[in-house]
Amino acid sequence: MAATKRILKEVERLNKDPVPGILAQPIESNIRYFEVYMDGPAQSPYEGGRFKLELFLPEEYPMAPPKVRFLTKMYHPNIDKLGRICLDILKDKWSPALQIRTVLLSIQALLSAPNPDDPLANDVAEQWKTNEKLAIQTATQWTKMYAIPPQ
Amino acid sequence: MAEVPRSFRLLEELEKGEKGFGDGLCSYGLDDKVDDIVEMEHWVGTIFGPGHSVHENRIYSLKIYCGKSYPQIRPEVRFSTRIAMNGVDPHTGVVNPEAVAVLREWKPSYTLMTLLKGLRSEMASPHNKKLAQPAEGSMFDN
Repeated sequence: MAATKRILKEVERLNKDPVPGILAQPIESNIRYFEVYMDGPAQSPYEGGRFKLELFLPEEYPMAPPKVRFLTKMYHPNIDKLGRICLDILKDKWSPALQIRTVLLSIQALLSAPNPDDPLANDVAEQWKTNEKLAIQTATQWTKMYAIPPQ
Repeated sequence: MAEVPRSFRLLEELEKGEKGFGDGLCSYGLDDKVDDIVEMEHWVGTIFGPGHSVHENRIYSLKIYCGKSYPQIRPEVRFSTRIAMNGVDPHTGVVNPEAVAVLREWKPSYTLMTLLKGLRSEMASPHNKKLAQPAEGSMFDN
């Protein structure tokens, strides 16, 4: 199957040439299901934390985007209580030319650049717009409380 | 077929449930009174009582528990709204999974919607549709 071959290639590259600050490994027997650890980007409220995500490549991949969510609790306007992520390339802007690594890099970039004008978590976005300083403080606090400390 | 992990399977069901689908006679969503919703274990469901039965025009709330091995392992269900029905404990509302077909013959391809629809048709079955019912809207203590 062509899709499986592509997935194997992507996994091989993720292992050989890992993205700095991101670890992605298939879980057990399911080649389409990944456990991901992502370091919070520098100069963001997520700095110093390591965040856990899960990623699944549906049957239609790469014609359909991967499904990804955070398992670590996040205070971010584009991430909701269930860890679901609001990001265009995970929806209508997906292209089969994109890969697992580009998706994860985009998510890491989203941590650096929250977008409260396209919110998923409305209360968080509201806070971000009305009192950014306090919002960033809360996000920093949550990183300390819920993220895995750097190893 | 790719095996869909539990969490993404449940997220899919949640999205369908949030949009509302089917005939509107059964609905469900995550129980947001629970602290740890990331695990997606606790759900609430609603069934509109089937017509031509004692349940007509009544609304039933249910609690559904999807364990770590859902959908391989069937969910656990209890009525929150009091109901007199074969296979439902009259004191707790807990549904005996061996007493209702949809749970007894559970398959991983079944969904929360399959479950609620199955319970609804059970409510309309000849051995249930004429049972004397508790006062409308009374609740189990669960």
